[in-house]
Amino acid sequence: MSWGDTIMALATPMGESAIALIRVSGPLAAPITQTAFKLEGTPPARSVKIGYYQGVEGHPLDHCAYSYFEAPRSYTGEAMLEINCHGNPLIINRLMADLIKQGCRVAEPGEFTRRAFENGKIDLTQAEAIADLIRAKSDRAILLAQRQLQGALGERVHELVDQVLNLLAQTEAYIDFPEEDLPPEDKEGPLQDLSKVIASVKKLLRNRQQAPLLCDGIKTVIIGAPNAGKSSLLNILAGHERALVSAEPGTTRDYIVERIIIGQYSLQLVDTAGIRESDNPLEAQGIERAIQQAEAADFYIGVFDQSAPWPDLPQSLLDRLTSERTLLIINKCDLSCHPHFNIHPALAAHTKILLSLKTGQGIDDLASVIQSTIENQLIHPSEDDLLINTRHGAAISKAYEHLNDAKGQDGLQKPVELMASDLRLAIDALGEITGKIENEQILDRLFGNFCIGK
Amino acid sequence: MKGILKTGAKAPYDVIVCGAGHAGCEAALAAARMGADVLLLTGNLDTIAQMSCNPAVGGEAKGHMIRELDALGGEMGINADTTAIQFRLLNASKGPAVQSPRAQCDKKAYQYRLKHIIELQANLSLFQGVTTDLIFEKGKAVGVKTHLGVDFYGRALVVTTGTFLKALMHVGDAKSEGGRMGDFSAKTLSDSFKSAGIELGRFKTGTPPRILGGSIDFSKCEEQPGDTKPTFFGFYDTRGDEDLFHVEHFGQSKLGWKPGEARISCWTTHTTPTTAEVVHKNLHRSALYKGDIKGTGPRYCPSIEDKCVKFEKQDTHRVFLEPEGRNTDEWYINGLSTSLPFDTQLEIIQTVPGLEKAHIIRPAYAVEYDFVIPTQLTPTLETKNIENLFFAGQINGTTGYAEAAAQGFIAGVNAVLKIRNETPFIMQRHESYMGVLIDDLVTKGTTEPYRMFTSRAEYRLLLNAGSAEHRLLNHTQRLKIVSNKRISAIEAKVNDTLHWVKFIEKTTHTGGTFANSIRRDPLAINYSFLPIKFNKLSEATRDEILYQVRYKGYLDRDLRQIAKNTNLENIKLPKNFDYYAIRGLRIESQEKLTAIQPLTLAQASRISGVNPADINVLAIFLRAQQK
Repeated sequence: MSWGDTIMALATPMGESAIALIRVSGPLAAPITQTAFKLEGTPPARSVKIGYYQGVEGHPLDHCAYSYFEAPRSYTGEAMLEINCHGNPLIINRLMADLIKQGCRVAEPGEFTRRAFENGKIDLTQAEAIADLIRAKSDRAILLAQRQLQGALGERVHELVDQVLNLLAQTEAYIDFPEEDLPPEDKEGPLQDLSKVIASVKKLLRNRQQAPLLCDGIKTVIIGAPNAGKSSLLNILAGHERALVSAEPGTTRDYIVERIIIGQYSLQLVDTAGIRESDNPLEAQGIERAIQQAEAADFYIGVFDQSAPWPDLPQSLLDRLTSERTLLIINKCDLSCHPHFNIHPALAAHTKILLSLKTGQGIDDLASVIQSTIENQLIHPSEDDLLINTRHGAAISKAYEHLNDAKGQDGLQKPVELMASDLRLAIDALGEITGKIENEQILDRLFGNFCIGK
Repeated sequence: MKGILKTGAKAPYDVIVCGAGHAGCEAALAAARMGADVLLLTGNLDTIAQMSCNPAVGGEAKGHMIRELDALGGEMGINADTTAIQFRLLNASKGPAVQSPRAQCDKKAYQYRLKHIIELQANLSLFQGVTTDLIFEKGKAVGVKTHLGVDFYGRALVVTTGTFLKALMHVGDAKSEGGRMGDFSAKTLSDSFKSAGIELGRFKTGTPPRILGGSIDFSKCEEQPGDTKPTFFGFYDTRGDEDLFHVEHFGQSKLGWKPGEARISCWTTHTTPTTAEVVHKNLHRSALYKGDIKGTGPRYCPSIEDKCVKFEKQDTHRVFLEPEGRNTDEWYINGLSTSLPFDTQLEIIQTVPGLEKAHIIRPAYAVEYDFVIPTQLTPTLETKNIENLFFAGQINGTTGYAEAAAQGFIAGVNAVLKIRNETPFIMQRHESYMGVLIDDLVTKGTTEPYRMFTSRAEYRLLLNAGSAEHRLLNHTQRLKIVSNKRISAIEAKVNDTLHWVKFIEKTTHTGGTFANSIRRDPLAINYSFLPIKFNKLSEATRDEILYQVRYKGYLDRDLRQIAKNTNLENIKLPKNFDYYAIRGLRIESQEKLTAIQPLTLAQASRISGVNPADINVLAIFLRAQQK
């Protein structure tokens, strides 16, 4: 039987050891072997090779020994890849996270054995023993998960579930009971609550040692006055490596994100309208949107034209441009400095780089300055000691993605039934950690919070 | 031509349906329209298809189901359309998936028309008689006894007796037997079921008082006219005159009228803090609050005492005044359902603006009744333990007319398929709300009267009301309850939709593909770049095409998820599987699987408490058995 998807799991215990073994089984085993170890053509089967495992983002993660097995001559009867990496939890997590990014899913307890059995690799007389094995593995996994959920992580996850349930109950109430005795629909409240939830999931994700690798990427908003050189900067950065342009699915979100890789970091670049006072209502709208974009950013690159006077920036924006998450680019250093180019005192001590996007002067250092700014200022070493294993991490990442989808883009209100659809997937993802969250729980919340019924 | 009534064991019907409410009518009509020889028994010919509660049909998720019924050949949609006095499209400001038609109907007209349809239906015999007992032979249901001492025999039985099993009504302290005010209680039938090993539960529901319109001061109420452009339940773009079963040759019959023709407004008012005071002062006299009522009531139809107690902080609750029909001055007071004594009801109603002088002509009451725990049924609604015995409607622990009608249709069709030894008719959860309804009932059961919500459907976006004919085409083709001509029309519509969606996705103009331009501006009413031929399609078809284009990302996501699950849907579990013999299963799972006896691995995975490891273990055993 073909299951279609590719599973992955750590076959050795998690912890410090000389060597750890990660197994991959399924149709993706061959392409992953090729990309990870930079092979041309079909990987050589059934022999041990040595090589650097290159992550999807192109940088080496570990020096490994690996073996590829072609279907059906493998343990599971499917194409398989076995990776022996260094037995360091950090490295193991990194590799597994990368495999998930490449399309693998964490195997359920006993799933390798089940696939082996399904493919006739294990004798039928052993069926009962295999069932027992799956049971035992699953019980152990449940026990482990329960133990983890009793700790700080569990508390956070339960809080999240609680918040998402509330949101969903509210959304569903207005969908299913449009004619009933509900208070007037409040569209802003849920959106604000959603933003809060997203922020706490993000914090949870960031707490993982490998956060940036698994995160969606660092949302970086380029701001500045018109003509300061924002778009040129975007072009230069996008050309720095191949710009990855991807159209996202959906209806109202037919829009494009520029994604670039600098060092080990993935950045989502967002260009915004120039920020200045404007009487033109259309332009004012664009500026408003730019400010909204800025609210959701992880990182800011401010672009300033030193040949012009220092622009007027709204205080709300200035407040956000904190030193740890802002890099200032002083552009047009090939021209003379304008006498009124006085850097705002609030930004005076921020990291700066002087360059000319037009002549290219100073841009060689651009990537490395961005990288070091992110490394030294944005990404702090984890303060919380929340241990999130790969399965939990994958589930939380998934929830994060769906919550972001639910929010929609550009501050545009998304149709509520689509929002609900995303929220439901977020709940399902969190349910992979806490145990399945049944529809009945949403209804309980709904009837508890709202007086429904004529 | 109809034959004479057949009694006794030597002249069995194909299908006997006991009860002529919303479930029974659909069951009997569907079975007869499939060519089976059907007997429909009712305790009272004058209350066929009676709306025991409010005079409205449809609403969120229910309207969707009525559309589905209409696509398959059910009667409810067209019956509501031709007897409606007001239409409203709910959630008109939200997306198409959650928009749902709803209609206020003329209660009597609704009943009379459906009764007439049944009288005219070939192969369908109608008879007034109270079913007192079922007749069993060798573990199979073979017939029914009636209070007249006459027995009827049938190859399959569909029981749709609603709230009538051991029904007990409460108005404060005053108790009386009956499933509906003025009606009887089926007292012996419960015992007949129990003796056959069927497990029963007890639920409660309630209904508000009815008052005379002449006693309402409408100047203190707010008018709620219906939509000026009505949204019907039935699909008329695929129907010819011959599909409008018999009586609605518009204008010629008094039994129904051209949909949208007769209009009457509803009105709203609200309770006041004084209402809450009266309720609190008399709470000790409420049948509900002093503990006389043991059955569980629905949370979404709370009585006024529940609203005042559980949501004490909310000082007013809306009250809807709904006319019961064109030829009566009776009004339904939606929102004041209660089990308080009658004198308190009088006091309460006077605290509501506009109802100060209201003349109550029927009191509010609560009713308790036995229901069949639905996890004892298979997805065809046949009982697992007694062959050829089907249950449908409120007797299965549901509430609502559409929920009942949907089950009746499914039971009626499956009763016929069963005696013909044909593959059962089972819809998947991603195909229809009706599929969700049945799967929820038989897989999970219910702890309160079950009402359908759109939020119960995980693939809600695929189940928009407008696509019911599209979604269910393969079933409609198979059942052949609707005319061949209509099936052809549906096929043409589905082909048009497929063609145009494809065309729009791949045709480009200056702004990229047509599809991208539509998605970029999803709220536009008109897309001038689309060929003129597009505008010649019916509005329903255009809407569906644009829906599929606009929501493509989301619909595709759901379709991918469904494709992933087909593996599990296709693995069948054998009947009477001995789950206790499988060592790797946990005891909790063994118990639940044994009780539910799921038909597929997918259904097994939906049982609460059965986890993925259990499914892996089961899959291994199935594989081992196959080899």
